[in-house]
Amino acid sequence: MFFDFVKRNSRKTRKENGVYFASLIVSIVAFYVILSLGEQDVMLYLKTIESDAVERLLLLIPVLYAVSLVFVFFLVYFANRYQLQQRSHEFGLYLMMGMKQSKLFLMIMGETIWNGIVAVCIGLPISLFLTELINLTTSRFVGMGIIGHAFRISWTGISLTICGFFLVQLLAMFILSFTMSRKEPIELLHEEKEKSQSTMTPKWGAVSLLSGAALLIGMILLCIAYGMAILYLRNFDYRVFALILLVGVCGTFILFRGLGSVIGVYVKRKGSSSTGLSMFTARQLQENVLHQWSSLAISTLLILMAMVCFAFGTSTALMNSAVANRTVDYTFHANNEDDIKPLIQSEELAPYVDSYYRMALHNFNPSEDEPLLNYHFAWTGLIETVSSQDDSEPKEILLNNLSMQDTPYFISLSSYNAMLEAAEKKPIQLAGNEVAMYTSDDTGASYDILKDILKKSPTVEIAENEYTLMPTLYSDQIVADRAITLMYSLIVPDALFEQYFDADETWLWNMTLKDEFIEEKGLMQAMLEVDQMLNSTGLQYESYLASMGRQLFYTVAGSYTTFYLGVMFLIIANTVLGLNFLMQQRSTRSRYQTLAMLGANVESICTSARKQIWLYFILAISVAFVSGIFGIWSLLTAMPATVFSFKNGIVIGLVVLLFIVMEIGYIRMIQRKSDVEIRKLKEID
Amino acid sequence: MNASNKLLEVKEVRKVFGEGQNETMALKGVTFNVLPGEFLGIMGASGSGKTTLLNVIATMLKPTSGQILLDGQNISSFKGSQLAAYRGDQIGYLFQQFELIDNLTAKENIMLPLAIHGINLKEQEQALRQLSKLFDIEELLNKFPSQLSGGQKQRVAAARALISNPSIVLADEPTGALDTKNAKILMEKLSEHNQQQESTILMVTHDANAASYCSRILFIQDGVIFHELRRNVPGESQEAFYERIVMVMAQLAGGSSNVL
Repeated sequence: MFFDFVKRNSRKTRKENGVYFASLIVSIVAFYVILSLGEQDVMLYLKTIESDAVERLLLLIPVLYAVSLVFVFFLVYFANRYQLQQRSHEFGLYLMMGMKQSKLFLMIMGETIWNGIVAVCIGLPISLFLTELINLTTSRFVGMGIIGHAFRISWTGISLTICGFFLVQLLAMFILSFTMSRKEPIELLHEEKEKSQSTMTPKWGAVSLLSGAALLIGMILLCIAYGMAILYLRNFDYRVFALILLVGVCGTFILFRGLGSVIGVYVKRKGSSSTGLSMFTARQLQENVLHQWSSLAISTLLILMAMVCFAFGTSTALMNSAVANRTVDYTFHANNEDDIKPLIQSEELAPYVDSYYRMALHNFNPSEDEPLLNYHFAWTGLIETVSSQDDSEPKEILLNNLSMQDTPYFISLSSYNAMLEAAEKKPIQLAGNEVAMYTSDDTGASYDILKDILKKSPTVEIAENEYTLMPTLYSDQIVADRAITLMYSLIVPDALFEQYFDADETWLWNMTLKDEFIEEKGLMQAMLEVDQMLNSTGLQYESYLASMGRQLFYTVAGSYTTFYLGVMFLIIANTVLGLNFLMQQRSTRSRYQTLAMLGANVESICTSARKQIWLYFILAISVAFVSGIFGIWSLLTAMPATVFSFKNGIVIGLVVLLFIVMEIGYIRMIQRKSDVEIRKLKEID
Repeated sequence: MNASNKLLEVKEVRKVFGEGQNETMALKGVTFNVLPGEFLGIMGASGSGKTTLLNVIATMLKPTSGQILLDGQNISSFKGSQLAAYRGDQIGYLFQQFELIDNLTAKENIMLPLAIHGINLKEQEQALRQLSKLFDIEELLNKFPSQLSGGQKQRVAAARALISNPSIVLADEPTGALDTKNAKILMEKLSEHNQQQESTILMVTHDANAASYCSRILFIQDGVIFHELRRNVPGESQEAFYERIVMVMAQLAGGSSNVL
């Protein structure tokens, strides 16, 4: 009997608070998705080549999980606080009819558990489906499908999801229902009464003056935070960061604190000329802002964090997706050719190998063995040409970079040409006094300007000679390991190279696999097979695949976790906003009835409510949006590796667009719910 | 006043709640007319059907059968926007619990029916001044309902009911939530408006004091009109009329066999 009662009540709660219930399901899905990250095909594969980094990421996941639990706790707490307040009259009646306080407490807890069970029953299958979908998509996206895909259920993920979900719910409800069930019946019976306009009482002038001041202070604080973020955040000083955070958060709260009364002033001024329900709409909005300023501020900050997370996730994904052409498959670390020759020419490996060659490169540093040689080097001619360009940021960066590279690496021409030939590209022909410029940084800000400048044939000084730079800038990958990068180096004729360095000193050996073998097996599978052979030899090597894997790992880990956080923040912010609105609407439903009695038709009442929802959401979103612009701006300038290119700009723009579409979707959902609520009022029709 | 010039005609109105065995007939064929400028009271015990009758006239309920004509238009058959156009414009309402919207100021509340019907508020400032003077609420116009006493709230509500100059004002126990002093003030003001502006008021009440301000009273019992009292004008004082009302009420309480 009691159980039936609990079941019936919880069904009613689910029906009346569909939005909240949907958010619970989404949070279950999000929990499982992040907890099962370790079981994803991509991660399982990455574990085999990048175990340390993957382990570190997997250690980070519980932290992420705990953080999101805290957020979900607040969501559950606030949503249920309103819900229980709505039902306090009902609880008061139960007590009056003889229900014991302990039983009331049990009933509320029972309803929570039952709702939780229903949410889990719906949420878990969705999460399993979604993780499977993500799994397949990422596998396909990165071409990992060949490695093999199996349907996996992360049992730890499931149990942790369920435990965390119930823990958070029960804790929040325990606190709420404990205080609720200790109240006297009379308090409960009268708690539902609509809140009066206490903030707009007699001291109207003083109040609005204070609010105006609050609004102003809020705006000033926000501007200070924006300015500081742009100017100082790139220095990565945690004290500055904390200060910006403090000022920004305070600014947002104070801004919303002051906003309510300012809307009031606006209504008063417009009052005599407004028609229809516009005055009512504005007053409702004002009341919402006055009563819910703190949740509005919290939602704004959450939306801001979601925006920054999305931006960061996108730029991480973008940065690493710039995969250069494959030029080298394997690079061995060996002191001389004899170490690797027998292996490469062995029966096992030989059928697969296309070519192998040394990659001779050396830093142009004075060597103690050759004290008589002239190690003078200067970018003189190049720097002069750069300086003659119009002032720009890339120019400054380039000059700065060049000034720090006074002992560049030399790459021998024959090595570089061997690489080019293996990759089926045209080899370089250097004239007697010519050298070519090389950089692996082909996405940097100074790449384009350097490319242009080289066309003017600038010069460099090596020893007592002046060399002209070739008009082409080279940036092919010279070794398999992508972590090895050379900012600026010179491809020099072999004669010049050997004058300073012994070619046998080289410790890097490149190897490429036969194209037909790769075509037959697929790159991944082919390399995995060769990997297995190489592993047994104990030779130190780096493969293109492992290097790709590392990149992939940073992409997946970086974008996955930030997107996860972004989605969590967004869900919570929207749910808080939506619930606040719907709860307020329900507690003031008699107003809508009165409007209908005074002759407003259902359509105009629904339109008024829809407008209120728009404005309410837009208030939060627009403040978050302004803050977001500055936040993302400083994020992009503070991250040294992130380059704000036009392409990145477009993609970030697309993400922002997607975000806006999501928000509109949410707003529409709340609006539909509001329409249903209004049409439910029986006096209207 | 001529009898053919009827403002409101209620013809054979029946209202049935529930179905089958639960069927309850709240109104069993009520017929009466209201003339322009009349202050009509409807009295009856709890459950007699008086509030149902008012709700049917107010378009809050649809009658099961019968017609309600306001200025010759059958308002009981109205739907949607037709209904909305009538409410608040042709019909003014005064409720027991005031039903002011508590996040609007008194002035905004009063002007609301005009705003809803898209009437230029600036042109109606004159009407607002007159009504606020009549109901003695000039000082309260910028206050919110939570800052007003019950009596003040009901006077604001009365101004709201009258602002659009409706054909008829329907009042449901307007003094029900007021103390004697405030009830008296409200009734005096309503009566004053009725006499000076010739507004038509239909009031449901079980308070004999309030009813004594009416020019005619219909007594309703078990869903039918059971008795009618008319104040003899001129000549009969309010006190005398009150005595007569109380007598009828006493007889009503004692059963129909004692009446007439």
